[in-house]
Amino acid sequence: MKKTMKNLKSFLRYVFLITVSFFSVFPLYWMAISATNKNVDVIRGTLMPGTYLVENFKTLIDQQNLGGALVNSFRNSIVLTVISLLICSLAGYGFEIYHSKAKDRFMGVLLLAMMIPFAAIMIPLFTMFANMKLLNTTIGFILPTIATPFLIMLFRQSARSFPRDIIEAARIDGLNELQIFFRMFIPTMKSTYAAAMTITFMAAWNNFLWPRIIMLSNDAVTMPMLVSNIIQGYVTDNGMLMLAVLITTIPTVIIFFILQKNFAEGITGAVK
Amino acid sequence: MKKTLAIVLAIVMSASLAACGGAPPAAPADDTPNVEAAPIAEAPQAEVVEEGGTITVWCWDPAFNLYSMEEAAKVYKQINPNFEIDIVETPWDMIQTRITTAATANQLDTLPDIFLCQDNAFQKNVINYPEVFTDLTDSGINFNDFAPAKVEYSVINGRNFGVPFDNGTVINCLRTDVLEEAGYTIADFTDITWDTFIEQGKDILTKTGKPLSSTIAREPDLLMIMLQSTGASLFNTDGSVNIVNNDELKAVLTTLMELTTSGVNIEVNNWDEYITSFVNGSVAGTINGCWILGSVQTAQDQSGLWAVTNIPKLNTPGATNYSNNGGSSWAVSSSSQNKDLAIDFLANTFAGSVPFYETILPSAGALATYLPAGNSSVYEQPQEFFKGQKIFSDITAFAGRTPSNITGAYYYEARDAVGVAMNQIIGGADMETALKEAEDTVIFAMN
Repeated sequence: MKKTMKNLKSFLRYVFLITVSFFSVFPLYWMAISATNKNVDVIRGTLMPGTYLVENFKTLIDQQNLGGALVNSFRNSIVLTVISLLICSLAGYGFEIYHSKAKDRFMGVLLLAMMIPFAAIMIPLFTMFANMKLLNTTIGFILPTIATPFLIMLFRQSARSFPRDIIEAARIDGLNELQIFFRMFIPTMKSTYAAAMTITFMAAWNNFLWPRIIMLSNDAVTMPMLVSNIIQGYVTDNGMLMLAVLITTIPTVIIFFILQKNFAEGITGAVK
Repeated sequence: MKKTLAIVLAIVMSASLAACGGAPPAAPADDTPNVEAAPIAEAPQAEVVEEGGTITVWCWDPAFNLYSMEEAAKVYKQINPNFEIDIVETPWDMIQTRITTAATANQLDTLPDIFLCQDNAFQKNVINYPEVFTDLTDSGINFNDFAPAKVEYSVINGRNFGVPFDNGTVINCLRTDVLEEAGYTIADFTDITWDTFIEQGKDILTKTGKPLSSTIAREPDLLMIMLQSTGASLFNTDGSVNIVNNDELKAVLTTLMELTTSGVNIEVNNWDEYITSFVNGSVAGTINGCWILGSVQTAQDQSGLWAVTNIPKLNTPGATNYSNNGGSSWAVSSSSQNKDLAIDFLANTFAGSVPFYETILPSAGALATYLPAGNSSVYEQPQEFFKGQKIFSDITAFAGRTPSNITGAYYYEARDAVGVAMNQIIGGADMETALKEAEDTVIFAMN
């Protein structure tokens, strides 16, 4: 009796989990399947892989600047991730290690800034960037999000668990403060960096609102902008659209899977 | 040591910033155009313009608007060999965001020379951001060459601000095989009233099991189409709201109720389901702007089975069998450095070249509202998909008979409010109460 109850319980658990994973995975499956099908078949709701992938790809590169958009998206996201990680980790480290009352108060102000929605500062930012001739440039893309309160907070939290003894020992051994940061802190906090990298890269890669305002030229188009271009026509080629979405999704998926293990660790705290 | 390291770091970082800051300067236009290769145009009214320059254009849809713009540039280059064009693919909502941003931030020079504007949003933008647009009334463009109802979309206080392009004339596409199965022909659906449409629709539904049309639930497209066909609008000429005392609107709502309750029209959940409903053949037709033809022709296996006719009319005074849904017009921005060139370009292509329209029609199905093109032999070509029907000249004729519509600055607010009322009424609410609520909502938005 007890055993049947246990079996039933695990059976129900499996049914529940399978249902949930079906709903999570199905859109991805459908996206991949649609990318290989003709528009008319996608509309008619086919669920079987088709043979139209190459044609969809040809239409895509014919109609859209796919190569350019990929290069732009990668360049913008990578540059932003590298610089942003460096700045935010230095700031977070500084806030925690050399903390004083004034700095804590300043951190509070920074956190308040998290609450201002981007839409509210969009127009003044646009005016500034247009005046500084930064439209259509990578630097224009990265500047508004180069230091985010969230990342600073993340690094500040993880710096809290960084043993002070290490810092003391390093100082005695003759390292200066920056050397301590680069040689001791960064290697210890690898998983925090991995988590921050995943978050920043994904946010930069998927960023749509800001590039859509400042990237005015054909040469500056990014992947999310390219996808949104495709759905504007009177007739949407759904096969091509899904292929573009698939290509846009791949980099974030890869980054996430590579750094998945570190991601969870980094969010919960790097030093055990 | 500390200091040196800090300085080195600072230099490295600023260098990396500078390196990416220099990224893509807009590709310099080729300033040595090949003059010999360009034969001077045949276009009779065009004089050779010496002024060169690059025109930047924002528009969406590569298969349609971008393609048409490229062809227009080819035509114009024959008149003006020094002309260069830079077409930037920009979706409409992005153009809208950028117009708003540029006008609010007072950065008008970020706008291109020419941009495409949705007809329904045209008056709103000119009223809200007059500084963005160029008055084209006295530019030499002959606006009488376009369908009057179409021109009206870009006219504000009697002044023209847009060159009409893309056609939104409403058509009734029907599957002739389904009609025949129930003993009808396309002639039985031409020049009819909605009462006849519903009556015949019920008969077809009983005999074949297929509804005649589908609409997206909560979207008032068909409502707006029917309303415009009566010659009425949601606004009066003075800009005030016209909902509660709008007899045509009430007639439209009554007819819509009957259409839906009788099962002649089915409601679907979204755009994709709407397209699927006729591509799959689960409904026998669709009523929409003629740009829907592209989607209708997706199903190549249905070639020869479709026919196009005008829409049914209501029993109100002045009602017609013609209407409009969607479409767009070209605007010239006031900040353009090459305003004269931009206007001359539009005047000699979109507003003055029949051969241009003859090129874009067969290859892109880009149907325009330029009336002189309607008489061209290209428009007279029978279309195989529609059983040899000359649909393009038919549609151009429909366009000339469409009543105009007052959109004003609050078109979308009024449209949404009436859409909500439509749902309430279909759901059983009292019509007067629902319309009063809609009118109040619009008045609230306006103040």
